[in-house]
Amino acid sequence: MPRSLFPVLLVLSLVVVATVAAGCGKDTAPFVDELGRCADFDELRRVYWGDTHIHTNLSFDANMQGTRTTPKDAYDFARGETIPLQPYTETGAPTRDATIDRPLDFVMLSDHAEFLGTLKVCNDPGSAGYGEPECVAYRAAMEFDADPSSVQIVFVSINGHLAFPPDESRYPTLCGPNDAFCLEAGMDVWREVVNEAQKAYDRSDACEFTTFPGYEWSGNPAGKNLHRNVMFKNENVTDLPYGYFDEPYVEGLWARLREECIDADNGCDTLTIPHNSNLSEGIYFENKMANGEPFSAEYVETRAAMEPVIEIYQHKGNSECYPGEITEDELCGFEVIPFSNLGTTNGSQITQPDPRGFLRHAYGEGMKLEASFGTNPFQYGITAATDTHISAPGFVAEDDFKGHGGAGQPNRFLPPPQGFPDIEYLSGGGLTAVWAEENAREAIFSAIRRKETFGTSGPRIVVRMFGGWDYPSNLCDAEDLVAQADDGGVPMGGTLAPQPGSSAPKFVVSAKQDAASVPLQRIQIVKGWLDGDDYQVQVYDDVAGDKNNGASVNLNTCEPQGEGFGDLCRVWEDPNFDPAQRAYYYARVIENPTCRWTTYQCVAEAYDCENPSREIDLDCCDPAAGLNVARCTDIEPLCDDPDSLPPVDARCCVPRVEPTIQERAWTSPIWYQPPT
Amino acid sequence: MLRPLVHFFVIGGLLFSAKAVYEARRIEGPDITVRVSTDANRAELESTIRDAILLNEAVRYGWDKRDPVVYTHLIRNMRFIEPDSTGDDLTLYKRALEMNMQAHDPIVRARLLYRAREALSYVPEDRMPSAEDLEAHREANAERFQREGRVRFQHVFLSRSKRGDSLPADASAIRQQLSTLGDESPKGLGDPLPGLRSEQSATPSKLEDDYGAEVARVVGEAVVGVWRGPASSVYGLHFIRVTSKEPAYLPALDVIVAEVRADWLREVRDELRKERMGALRDAYTVHIERVP
Repeated sequence: MPRSLFPVLLVLSLVVVATVAAGCGKDTAPFVDELGRCADFDELRRVYWGDTHIHTNLSFDANMQGTRTTPKDAYDFARGETIPLQPYTETGAPTRDATIDRPLDFVMLSDHAEFLGTLKVCNDPGSAGYGEPECVAYRAAMEFDADPSSVQIVFVSINGHLAFPPDESRYPTLCGPNDAFCLEAGMDVWREVVNEAQKAYDRSDACEFTTFPGYEWSGNPAGKNLHRNVMFKNENVTDLPYGYFDEPYVEGLWARLREECIDADNGCDTLTIPHNSNLSEGIYFENKMANGEPFSAEYVETRAAMEPVIEIYQHKGNSECYPGEITEDELCGFEVIPFSNLGTTNGSQITQPDPRGFLRHAYGEGMKLEASFGTNPFQYGITAATDTHISAPGFVAEDDFKGHGGAGQPNRFLPPPQGFPDIEYLSGGGLTAVWAEENAREAIFSAIRRKETFGTSGPRIVVRMFGGWDYPSNLCDAEDLVAQADDGGVPMGGTLAPQPGSSAPKFVVSAKQDAASVPLQRIQIVKGWLDGDDYQVQVYDDVAGDKNNGASVNLNTCEPQGEGFGDLCRVWEDPNFDPAQRAYYYARVIENPTCRWTTYQCVAEAYDCENPSREIDLDCCDPAAGLNVARCTDIEPLCDDPDSLPPVDARCCVPRVEPTIQERAWTSPIWYQPPT
Repeated sequence: MLRPLVHFFVIGGLLFSAKAVYEARRIEGPDITVRVSTDANRAELESTIRDAILLNEAVRYGWDKRDPVVYTHLIRNMRFIEPDSTGDDLTLYKRALEMNMQAHDPIVRARLLYRAREALSYVPEDRMPSAEDLEAHREANAERFQREGRVRFQHVFLSRSKRGDSLPADASAIRQQLSTLGDESPKGLGDPLPGLRSEQSATPSKLEDDYGAEVARVVGEAVVGVWRGPASSVYGLHFIRVTSKEPAYLPALDVIVAEVRADWLREVRDELRKERMGALRDAYTVHIERVP
């Protein structure tokens, strides 16, 4: 239950209503956001690119890291404008900037709900809590010449509230009696967030840019990440952005959202997007409710309804699968960060992640629960995002990496970063793609709700997948592939019902490379199924393309080498189908190898391992970070006796970060449910 | 003497027109001394002067003695330095003022500056835009609100991955077929590609993002009604027949009113801030004292 909200809500909701009415009534003609209002409406649906996980200066962590850019800046960035980046000089001039390579189609900002009010209270001298000691300490820490260690102390003392156990979660003291200062201020900020989303939303029939109001519920008890992004379909939102201090259990969050939004009959609709299950120490998909009991039927229904999709990848790593778990899958090592929870990530303490926190585990557990309840609470579709903390949605380029903050390097202090701009294990994050009729709220929100989505690790690889029973084997040759596949089956995210008389389901997967990136190497299909209670996974490699196409990268220049495929398509039939077994199928589309951001930065710098004179030299000569690849190769024969080598060379013998990566796209699975 | 200026400043220009501001410049204003470090650069010097003027204005209007936040803060300070005091809030507040505590407290300073800056960019009700103002703003700044033109076209694609070495020959054959199509749809010809339609519309920038510069250029230069190509992309070869071109356009006010209003307010706030600060700056006599 939210605590101490009612007195504030009673008064403030009147203010909100009055303000909204006053602000909107004068010049605005009625605008109806109906399907079909855009010039590019396409009933067969098009692909649209977006980012649904973005932090601006309204997030406490980003703010303390020196991010000064606002929600408006984030929208401007997504539309192609250049924004300033920290560190800032004493006179307030930025020392860096950032520009996206191609604009995004849609964006949802997701500033942490918990401290929206706190920041306003501490920064607004008109606020009653402005003079509270925590605010005074915060402002001292934000001074240009603040000592980094004191900044860390202030950060932990306030942000650390997110790590309290749920029953002890509470607003910081500065929020005043009954948390009123922060609740009131938080409501103001939330209204501004919604207003900014309204301003940036393109209501013309050009439909160039779509925005969604949103925030992040950020509970991470004992550092174990349970965060969710809350996405609203339109400007009809709840009065408060409910955070961990208001609703310390996710069941409470869902109940609030249902009561005040979905069931309120006021045009409001919402869903939540889980993320970073990889940093939960395995508890994200635990079969346990707030009261400690195993899932109830009601819980399972609610979770399935409220959380249609999950963020499989972002700058704090990959949550798809953990290497060596359940089945051998050589591509599971991609961007798996070596931290078990948010606390160890913040502290850069190497700790092994728990495989139960990965999606592959959840898919198996979900099918088992479905066998009991008739509903799968983990039947997630796929999204990906940046989780940028520098207001830079969709800033995913490996060759222009500036660091996204978050749990990474704050980059707040001068001199500007001479080494890597982020912890070497973190990355640029990914993008969400949706198949929707048009670039507008109704169409995109509906696509996410029905899971016709896929995620990529950054490049705009386009993939479409359908499952059916009677697809012709030459469907890939048909110019009207999509119309046929749509008519005869279900798209990604859908569920195949049994079809008596059919031997096995068929899947058509069609993909094309990012026009601005390297060619594709292959398409894989990952199948998971339940054999009784036994959960098994098999990766079907080379469904299309060629794993051994010989593509590589020149590590001295990052120049890609070798051939690949501009587009790939295949109708694939499950060779081991058992109609009595629950199963899922998703496609993974793999690019040819490219340099990782760390390698790009090492190649771009003229480093000298023998005489390191700058931070970047040290980073690049350290294989844990970015590698002097050529040098590592040279000394490989000597690695048998690392003690005989200079320290720099010895580090080359135990590389932890790969110099190259294979970027990829993951489709939402298509599920098969056997007859009951 | 400077009372009109203060009024203007405090109530955000409600009572004062640009004429009054102009006239105010001829009024002899306050005389203040600003201390700055000897190594302060020009920008730092100007910033210090502006803050000093704003603070002085705030004090002249008595905000340091009447502001509710300052009131609460000073009482809190007094209770901190006199923990055993049994005086009520008002008594403590008066004592704080007697001690001139408000003149040196950094929180009071920040509060006063905040209120002053808010006042500088305050948009009075009579300056809020009407529908006519917004319409005029939309038209005068059309380039800010304009939407990109669109091209409607037919598209036949041949996949390099699928056709390999036979691609050039296949392209010749397709070109031959297309030349006999006339106005008929090319439906059924060519290969599928995710997102590609035999007939669709797109903006030039979207085309470039999706297929690369050459395809976008061919579409952009194409004459309506004529098959063009093949244009090459990373995917293969493309034949294009543009069926119509819609120029860039300016959406009606009712659909972009939030965008236009936000842009208008940004401009007006900037304008008012500069205008009012300029008026204050002109009215003040500022002495600079450099300190090591």
